[in-house]
Amino acid sequence: MRKFETLLLLSPELSADARAALIDGFKGIVEREGGKVLHEDNWGMRDLAYPVKKQMRGWYIRLEYAAPGALVAELERNIRIAEGVFKFLSVKLADSVEEVAA
Amino acid sequence: MAFKKKFAPRRKFCRFCADKDLPLDYKRPDILRDFVNERGKIIARRITGTCAFHQRALTTEIKRSRQMALMIYTAAHASEVKKKSVL
Repeated sequence: MRKFETLLLLSPELSADARAALIDGFKGIVEREGGKVLHEDNWGMRDLAYPVKKQMRGWYIRLEYAAPGALVAELERNIRIAEGVFKFLSVKLADSVEEVAA
Repeated sequence: MAFKKKFAPRRKFCRFCADKDLPLDYKRPDILRDFVNERGKIIARRITGTCAFHQRALTTEIKRSRQMALMIYTAAHASEVKKKSVL
């Protein structure tokens, strides 16, 4: 079980519930494949440093989760399928995560 | 008759070694911006004085934050420039 974080840049045109549905979908994938979402950090709408797909602003969401390594590839496959996600970046935070008895 | 170079440069130190809790993280473009010049290029180690280990980590973090549109690749395509041209 390794600790990862994925930063997602979502389209500003997405409505609030479309955005929530997208995120719940990704969290569902993490949970279903045996991972555990530790933290969800919603940065909200931010101005971008450079225009992405002709948009000057974007919605940032950061998902922190503990999961086996293979799950990241599965999650990214789904992110690529979903539209409305402009950019994403997954980073490994820690090699082992202590099983916190939540 | 080479005169001795009078210019005594200010003692440069690695900011990440000195200040341990300075987060070196792509999610904090405000800190990374100190290591990038106004055109968005990464400043050399000999100028900022960062140590080799932290400079390597710094370049990866800056490249990641550029990828996530938190920092510009080059000033030519920055949003402010585009905004002015579109007005």
